[in-house]
Amino acid sequence: MSIFTIDEVKKTFTNGEVEEQVLNGINITLQEGEITALVGASGSGKSTILTIAAGLQRASDGKVLFQGKNMTDMNQDQIRKIRASEFGFVFQSSHLVPFLTVEEQLLLMLDVSETKMRKREQRDEVEKTLKLVDIDHRKDAYPSSLSGGEKQRVAIARAIIHKPKMLFADEPTASLDSKRSKDVMTLIRELTKTLHITTLMVTHDEEMLPYADHIITMKDGMVV
Amino acid sequence: MNIAWKEIKKNRAKFVILGSIIFLVSFLTFIISGLSNGLSQDNAALIKDLPDGQFYMNAEANETYNLSRIDESVQSSVLKEQKDAVAISIQMGFVNDMDDKQHSIAFVTSTDSILFESVGKGEVVLDRSLQDKGIKVGDSLTNNQFSGGFTVKGFVDQKKYSHAPVAYINIENYKEIYRVNEMQLIFVPGKEKSQVITGLQSFTNKEFLNTIPSYSAEQMSLNMIIWFLVAISGMLFAIFFYMMNVQKIGLYGILKALGVKTSRLFGMMWYQMIFITVIALALSVALSQVFTMIAPEGMPFSLTIETTFQLSIIFLIIGFIGATLSGLQIKKVEPLQAIQQGEV
Repeated sequence: MSIFTIDEVKKTFTNGEVEEQVLNGINITLQEGEITALVGASGSGKSTILTIAAGLQRASDGKVLFQGKNMTDMNQDQIRKIRASEFGFVFQSSHLVPFLTVEEQLLLMLDVSETKMRKREQRDEVEKTLKLVDIDHRKDAYPSSLSGGEKQRVAIARAIIHKPKMLFADEPTASLDSKRSKDVMTLIRELTKTLHITTLMVTHDEEMLPYADHIITMKDGMVV
Repeated sequence: MNIAWKEIKKNRAKFVILGSIIFLVSFLTFIISGLSNGLSQDNAALIKDLPDGQFYMNAEANETYNLSRIDESVQSSVLKEQKDAVAISIQMGFVNDMDDKQHSIAFVTSTDSILFESVGKGEVVLDRSLQDKGIKVGDSLTNNQFSGGFTVKGFVDQKKYSHAPVAYINIENYKEIYRVNEMQLIFVPGKEKSQVITGLQSFTNKEFLNTIPSYSAEQMSLNMIIWFLVAISGMLFAIFFYMMNVQKIGLYGILKALGVKTSRLFGMMWYQMIFITVIALALSVALSQVFTMIAPEGMPFSLTIETTFQLSIIFLIIGFIGATLSGLQIKKVEPLQAIQQGEV
């Protein structure tokens, strides 16, 4: 069943008097509970389409439909609410809040997503999620004392704690070595299947492609 | 979750530095304000402690009470019509104590009134600061323009004029010393609008204080320093919070990407600003009150708790405006830009 549709999306950047079209009518449909990988050379537009889909920037033309609702017609606050409650993000860098412990990073996400839970339930959920990504032993640590792989695990836990419908991952393994990259991708795949999350992932690493259900190749702002 | 508090807890040093600067600037402002009030009391406590009312001086005196001479007939008709009105004269002078040591004083004389000390001929009531200089009740003081001597009848607290202690003397003795028959001023207490009296110019208490040349110049300079300090603290707040916000642009972007409301980010900044400012001001108020108690005897220093609270409220408002202006950049932060910039 399709949950997310990108329909004829175009994106043009203006630099002074020069207009540059980076996306030229992209059409993508994402199926519920599946991982779709976007691949392509640098400048092909794969990160731009991911950020438009995630509501982090607007398309110049076309539609982005999430559960049938057109996000391009929504205002900033409506998009923010969707980002907070329905989407999860894993970035190239973990982007953890430096002054929060691992446990607090996840509690913050529950808070932001306005998940209705009692304090005790929130703590239980955090513990469960940290166990799921195998980082529960570091729950009181600050990001500065975590390794790259640990940080990325925490970032994944933060992205899924509020049970989002969509997970957007932009080069989630780019800052990790080969072994850790495989661990992280195994984890993302397991979570996607267990929690029934739909994942859209950008990667340039061919070794990560076997973890995806669908692969979309982009070139010069178009799907090829 | 209170992320503002979590940040303060984790980055204690940064917030302690900011708090120390607010503490130092506010403490300096309180001390300058205490000196300003102290000097103001030292210069014109005699006038400042009077109730609200109207001063009248001769219209031809060019707003200088020293040059004012109120006609005796005008004076008696005003005093007759206004029950509480009082005619007064003030002149700078000196007295010699029993050791022949000279003391600068301000001679003050008045018609009968509860607002001024009533003294008999040959008697004097002095400001208590002269007691500290060894003068006692019953001592005899002299003045080279006065034929007799003045017997010290008592002391009063905080009665100064033009930085000199006040000496209340009898009208007849005053007339002999200064060879005048007319009084300089008439004071009519009461909040009613001033009456028009032919030949006399009226002044409110504040207007009258400003006719004293040393008073207005001195107060203007000190008030200028106080307001400069308040303005500087406002700028410091803005600069510090701007620097902190610039450092946190990436973090704000990520929080926005995760779905945190901009209003919550502003709330975070305001919480931190109020938290630091309130603690810094509380310390500052406490220390300035301690200073009030231990300030040297002769130092003109007067800082009431009301003044410190008023200044504290101004500091909080200025801090809030400074922090808010610097925080406007939070509104402009693009989540995407922060994500592309890498680790926060």
